[in-house]
Amino acid sequence: MKAVSKEKLPALLEELAKEGTLYVPSSSGDMSRFVPWESDVQVDLEHNTTMSPKEVLFPQTEVLYNYKFGEENTVEPPPPGSEKIIVFGVRPCDVQAIRCLDEVFLTRTYVDSYYKEKRDRLIVISLGCTVAEDTCFCKDMGVNPVEAEGADIVLFDLDGEYGFEEKTDKGKEITKKIASQLSDTSKKKPKAPSFTLQANSNGIVEKLQKMFEHPIWEEVCQKCIGCGTCAFLCPSCHCFDINCKNTGACDGFRYRTWDACMFNDYALMAGGHDVRPTKVERIRNRYLHKLLFFKERYGMFLCTGCGRCLRECPAGMNIAGFINQLEEVTVDG
Amino acid sequence: MDKITGLMRTKAKELLENGKVERVLGWEKGMFFYSTPPVFIDKPEDAEKLVWDDFAINNLAIYLLDKRNQESKVALFVKGCDSRGVVRMIQDNQVKRENLYLIGIPCPGLKDPKTAVRGYYKDASQVPKATKCEECQHPNPVLYDEMLGSQVEEPPEKDRFAEVSELEKKSADEKYAYWKAQSDKCIRCFACRNICPACSCQECLLDCSKPRWLDKEVDVAQNQFFHMIRVWHVADRCVECGECERVCPAGLPLMQLNRKLIKDINELFGPYEAGMDLEQRPPLTEYDTGDPEEFM
Repeated sequence: MKAVSKEKLPALLEELAKEGTLYVPSSSGDMSRFVPWESDVQVDLEHNTTMSPKEVLFPQTEVLYNYKFGEENTVEPPPPGSEKIIVFGVRPCDVQAIRCLDEVFLTRTYVDSYYKEKRDRLIVISLGCTVAEDTCFCKDMGVNPVEAEGADIVLFDLDGEYGFEEKTDKGKEITKKIASQLSDTSKKKPKAPSFTLQANSNGIVEKLQKMFEHPIWEEVCQKCIGCGTCAFLCPSCHCFDINCKNTGACDGFRYRTWDACMFNDYALMAGGHDVRPTKVERIRNRYLHKLLFFKERYGMFLCTGCGRCLRECPAGMNIAGFINQLEEVTVDG
Repeated sequence: MDKITGLMRTKAKELLENGKVERVLGWEKGMFFYSTPPVFIDKPEDAEKLVWDDFAINNLAIYLLDKRNQESKVALFVKGCDSRGVVRMIQDNQVKRENLYLIGIPCPGLKDPKTAVRGYYKDASQVPKATKCEECQHPNPVLYDEMLGSQVEEPPEKDRFAEVSELEKKSADEKYAYWKAQSDKCIRCFACRNICPACSCQECLLDCSKPRWLDKEVDVAQNQFFHMIRVWHVADRCVECGECERVCPAGLPLMQLNRKLIKDINELFGPYEAGMDLEQRPPLTEYDTGDPEEFM
């Protein structure tokens, strides 16, 4: 297959950056995330990022439209972008999460125009994993850690070089542009990494379908402190809140921001009714969304086994541990 | 460490069996060598889950807020920092002293699971002591009904405000650039606020939608506003447990902000350490005729 030597990677990235806005994983300072590439950016391809790449398609704060009141009232969405958006080094768990976001934002009649206009310009260059962290469990959530399904180009870590395979038309098109950086390799695709963390997801859908009133939720929810760390780091969480801000007497903008169903006021409604008043209901909702509802609706788990929530939860909540706990649970007919 | 584990289990079992408490808050072993998360025990047989080890770092005091409107009696294991968190809650009228049975554990200084995670450590022995533990001045519980084991030696006194003093020397522009860079990292997850024993408001003003004090945009202005306001609201009540800085996924140096305010309060109102003494109220909630009043 084609390949790029690791020494030539900076040159490859420089070429790719000419084709649009290039995002690379970088761990400057304390929190690694995908940042726009510049020649002095430290690219970190050894470990996955803390902030997932979803912020490229679904920014944490996004203006929906600007409004003006006057002789004419106007509503103006921000102009669409025209450049390609190239995200380099996306791990299979995160590519799977993009597939989940596609289902939410692009299907079932309503198309989110803000997501779509970026998604149409997006080129995903995925990097397969040769090592699983102790917190990784993508395989158990239906993800192939070696080769991401749905990526435009897949890379394989082959020691001194990255194997390079175009998968889609978008992938082929951009490969032509950077072909001068590529060589050939006779090395084969690497073997799948071995996982120390096993989260047996077989049969959990059928079990969870009968567990809405199960007492397990009262026990599992207790550690949670109700912050948004898990939801914000999660590559597939996609809830948002919409607010308005006036910038003058007659103008302002409407914007959306990430929201988290873990926040205690997430389900609070006008009038004061709260459909998820305690942690019991909120944790139940989160885990059922990740492991049941999304699978039932779209045929894939919403949890892609990236492990970020396990790593950064301040209270030690563990969805993989919960999946294992389900093995002990018996539900009646 | 194993000795304390044994004592914890015996004590918890006993307290639940004789009905002295309805729940025991402690720590249990999690999935990874570095996870020893909180556990909530209400059956004597579950006391066997309790563990005391290098990673039992979570401050258990905040979980008292979950049942703050109920009169249930709770036992909890408290390290030095945890006990000050409990004092904080009692002084803030969030819990009643008589509903708590505090089992003190003198703390040798622990390790942060986040250090292990972010450093990709494979072994507990490789993991260094947690930052908050390096900075700790009071490892022995200050409030307890009984103590497991004997007091540890208090660490030599150090200048907790050394970093703050260094920052104070910077010019206004340098300080602004520094704090802007820090607050730009913030993702507004509110882990810091939710883990803080001093943050016990039923409705946090930063969540309030009418009026919308803090906009939901994650940008320069709102992020700075969030941190400035939170640190002011906590000010004289911060017990320096260090949990806020520890749990921040973005690595904001929140204790520098907290300590800046504590340093200022010490200078204005005399030296005060929150949470050390149940009887000594935080200076901003008390009036003394000797308080400075330069503006009068």
